[in-house]
Amino acid sequence: MAETLSALKGHWPRTNVDRDGTRGVTLAEVASFHLTQIAAWPDSLARVGGDIAKAAGCDSAPGPGRAHEGTNGTLLRIEPLKWWLVEAAGTSGRTSVSGADRAVLDLSAARTWIRLSGPKASVLLNHFLPLNLSEQAFPEGSVASSSFHHIGVTLWRDEPGYNLFLPRSFAVSLWELLVESAVQYGYEVA
Amino acid sequence: MTARRLDKGGRIDRSTPVNFTWDGKALTGYAGDTLASALLANGERVLGRSFKYHRPRGIMSAGVEESGAIVTVGEGARREPNVKATMQELYDGLSAEGQNAWPNVRFDLGAVNGLFGRFFAAGFYYKTFMGLPPFEWGHGTRLWMLYEKLIRKAAGMGTASREPDPDCYDHAHAFCDVLVVGSGPAGLSAALTAAEAGRDVILVEQDFELGGDLLTDPAAEQQRLDLVRAVEAAGARIMTRTTAFGLYDNGAAGLLERVTDHIASPDEGIPRQRFWTVRAGATVLASGALERPVTFENNDRPGVMTAEAARVYLNRFGVLPGQRIAIATNNDGAYGIAGELASAGAEVLLADMRNGDVPETPSGVTQKSGVAPLRAIGRSGVEGVEFASRSGDSWKPAGKEPCDLLLVSGGWSPVVNLSSHRGAKPFWNESLACFLPGETSEPIFHAGSAAGVWRREDCLASGAAAARKAMGEEVEEVAPGGWKNAIQPVYEVRLPDSHAKAFVDYQHDVTGDDVRLAHQEGFVSVEHLKRYTTLGMATDQGKMGNVIGLALMADALGKDIPDVGTTRFRPPYTPVAIGALAGRSVAGHFKALRRTPLHDWNLRHGATMTDAGVWHRPWYYAREGEGIEEAYIREAATVRKTVGICDVSSLGKIAVQGPDASEFLNRVYTNAFAKLPVGKARYGIMLRDDGIVMDDGTTWRLGEEDYLTTTTTAHAGKVMVWFEELLQSRWPDLKVHVTSVSDHWAGVSIAGPKAREVIAACLAADEDISNDVLPFMGVARITLKNGIEGLIARISFSGELAYELYVPAGQADAMMNLLWPAAEAVDGCLYGLEALGTLRIEKGHVTGAELDGRVTIDDVGLGKMASAKKSFVGSALRQRSELLRENRPQLVGIFPVDRSQRFKGGSLLCDPDAVTGFGEGWITAVTHSPALGHWIGIGYISGGAAAWKDKTAVAADPVRSGNVDVEIVSPHMFDPEGVRMHG
Repeated sequence: MAETLSALKGHWPRTNVDRDGTRGVTLAEVASFHLTQIAAWPDSLARVGGDIAKAAGCDSAPGPGRAHEGTNGTLLRIEPLKWWLVEAAGTSGRTSVSGADRAVLDLSAARTWIRLSGPKASVLLNHFLPLNLSEQAFPEGSVASSSFHHIGVTLWRDEPGYNLFLPRSFAVSLWELLVESAVQYGYEVA
Repeated sequence: MTARRLDKGGRIDRSTPVNFTWDGKALTGYAGDTLASALLANGERVLGRSFKYHRPRGIMSAGVEESGAIVTVGEGARREPNVKATMQELYDGLSAEGQNAWPNVRFDLGAVNGLFGRFFAAGFYYKTFMGLPPFEWGHGTRLWMLYEKLIRKAAGMGTASREPDPDCYDHAHAFCDVLVVGSGPAGLSAALTAAEAGRDVILVEQDFELGGDLLTDPAAEQQRLDLVRAVEAAGARIMTRTTAFGLYDNGAAGLLERVTDHIASPDEGIPRQRFWTVRAGATVLASGALERPVTFENNDRPGVMTAEAARVYLNRFGVLPGQRIAIATNNDGAYGIAGELASAGAEVLLADMRNGDVPETPSGVTQKSGVAPLRAIGRSGVEGVEFASRSGDSWKPAGKEPCDLLLVSGGWSPVVNLSSHRGAKPFWNESLACFLPGETSEPIFHAGSAAGVWRREDCLASGAAAARKAMGEEVEEVAPGGWKNAIQPVYEVRLPDSHAKAFVDYQHDVTGDDVRLAHQEGFVSVEHLKRYTTLGMATDQGKMGNVIGLALMADALGKDIPDVGTTRFRPPYTPVAIGALAGRSVAGHFKALRRTPLHDWNLRHGATMTDAGVWHRPWYYAREGEGIEEAYIREAATVRKTVGICDVSSLGKIAVQGPDASEFLNRVYTNAFAKLPVGKARYGIMLRDDGIVMDDGTTWRLGEEDYLTTTTTAHAGKVMVWFEELLQSRWPDLKVHVTSVSDHWAGVSIAGPKAREVIAACLAADEDISNDVLPFMGVARITLKNGIEGLIARISFSGELAYELYVPAGQADAMMNLLWPAAEAVDGCLYGLEALGTLRIEKGHVTGAELDGRVTIDDVGLGKMASAKKSFVGSALRQRSELLRENRPQLVGIFPVDRSQRFKGGSLLCDPDAVTGFGEGWITAVTHSPALGHWIGIGYISGGAAAWKDKTAVAADPVRSGNVDVEIVSPHMFDPEGVRMHG
């Protein structure tokens, strides 16, 4: 199989940046993953939710604005009738979520997945995203669609930090903004 | 004014001297100084020149309301004019200079304007230069047009750097339960109360230290520290050097954080300023109050300042601002500072404008009652004051006193600006002689002196009460006021018939006479007064002069102040740099750049890029020695001869899925989609509701319930939004999901007689794209020989045998690494937008240039694609008589009559007998056609090609290339039967 190229190839910072001896943000890209959209109809929502929860290996399908991590992947509820199943590549092949009462769509190449962690991760994100990222308002397992420099993006919070899904065609442009702004906090690219 | 630094006292750090320059002169201050306090300590008096009359000005205040010491700070690209010296923190190496003066603020030739001051009244420029007598008496603006440039050059304060701003700026978002603006006693108390109750609190302070009024009271230092520590311990987020400059809808506040403006050599990675949008559940405004001056002759002389300013300079900065000080007050507030100045060694005369009860005269102070300042004596600095006493409704002279500093307290104006931004109309309080904040239904609460509460202990209580109200509790308000003796309103002191310069608005040189003149000329509305005189329109937004201006207007009208009304404040409270508004949306990030998956591959292979909306697309691939013209002609010719590959990834791509997907597309497109078989593509046109063409593209049926719809690059977003709107609002019963997959697929067009051969060389062994398996408009899933799985459709924009091949975006390079060597082997080429344009113009295929929101499906010659058997979006309104008119402009091809000539896109098409007006049509695109050997164009002309058969038209381009005779032909200028693409 031919090599899959990240949109960020060639745009990665050459060095880490220290700020007052610390690095406030760790930036990383998950370069290889599967992203499958499962869209249900109002009358099949519960059934599809049950099916995909089982497929993903979690107890239930998440409600709006939430993510559930399962053994096979993570389900994000990104719209009232839509979930994303996110699977890191190379773990266990792709989970089958097809069925007659739903629309399944491969979006793996449509997004660039960036992980942000560290004490300044939320501060950095808030330079661009108008989201309340406090522990109370956006705890672990939260999902939001938001706007980053006028571009629609998806944010999901898990235990290590934040996962930002950028439309691939805008990924370099938005990535440059993130890195340039991260200089003030110091950063490490993992 | 003989100011001097005291040996002790204040909050400055005398062990840390700070060197700076003023007008090139090396001076020294201390850490903790502002530029104003350091200049004062160094004995600098004249720091600015006024806007209109170039009058010498000195420090008038110690805060944001400063109207005298307005200076230029920084050098080179960081030169910033109109900085208030009172707000600029001193740092080592700071360079400041006076502005609006030549050669300098101490000796300014512009001061000659003052001699003609009587002519420079309100409306001077308009009255004088518009309809200039006697040349244009009462009419015309021709001369004004000439003078305007000179007048504009003479106006304005300071000059900004012409170099690009070297600093970066950030935007930022924050959220909180309670936003507290101001960290004086009320603000600290409010923040503490809310934070201790568990609320998420943001406390913002425009100063670099917390404490507000507490900073100027050495005896209250422990109280200040205790409060600050308690607020910190309670978990409030504290932002200093941050101004809340505006309040907006739904609890949104705009803040400006000055991050590095106080640092000598800021790290370039640190933003200079941050522009915060804070969304707060409730807002407590503890923004304080500003001391008002009084209007009297020469009330702008260096050495006239507010009494509060002297308190700040003495107690916070350890500067005794004068030796022989006269204080003029109409309220109790100035008595404290009078005593403090006397204790610091000054000779103090306290002149109270009131005759009745006044506080006890502080020790060491001489007191006078019933006198007000009539005139400041001196030119470049105050040398004395002439007093006046009441005489009926007017004033009469009451003696002179020498002094080197004249402090004035004309009362206090609560800072109600921010709630005024939200439409809360301030109301006049007669007994306190000030506007108090108005009612608002929004969760905005005022505390402390911003609510007219004067005494410190009351301010603390007021802050706590406001915080509790912000938390939804019912609380009894702290009543405004607090002075023992009533204020006696005095706004202007002048002798009858005096027309001396007495200023209301210092920054715009608006005098009391200007206000009266405006009244005389009929400007009786406060809004008109403001605009006519420019009162309150300078950078201080009327902080010092508005109330006085209103009072004078009320007096002229014989009304009370509340009956005159007040103007509404607008954001920003203090100026915000354009750079902060722009944030990081500058230069290459002005808008996000959209890259195709082949962006870098294209650059590596010699592409010159061009903007296509937010995309960068290959324009042409020049070979050595080629310019754009040679390159695109070669590319287009190569496509017709062998094969070319073009990156078409930017086309909009929408997955349309669901059991009703066919029905949905059938309603959206003008032509039939209900029976499109799986494995086939169809070209479709969609209309707007009004019957005008919205967009076109091909739709590929990938499965029974699975379509891929392509749109033009330009309209991808619009079509996606349109689909969503239709499904959500018009046809919610349809089971259809639409999802943009524009970013998922990399797409290339492989076009030319050898296209099939090139692709076939790249396919997995068992794949077949022969004409039988993949005929024209056929679609298939396909595997390349390196294992990449993609989609292929046999569709053509160029008119050649052509395919569009889509693979997942991450595998775009791998696809091209197969395709390009195969194409090179048959002398193929890469081609860009320019050649793509040539090929499609030759074929008469339309793009966004033709589908410009004005044309019908009939206009573009595709009327037969509009089904008569079904209803579709736009099917009713496309039948309007205007849209069916036969002589509407219709799509045509255009040849120059003399084939050696060329014409330009954008030219008008005219009847040779009437080369005038809008003509009969227009040219949308032109190219040199390698296939035809001459220039050709595409455009619209009334009646279409049939109406112009055997008739020459003129391509008129009056402002560029002139007129060219043209022949109107069918838009299908090359291979009209489509033999080549079906081959």
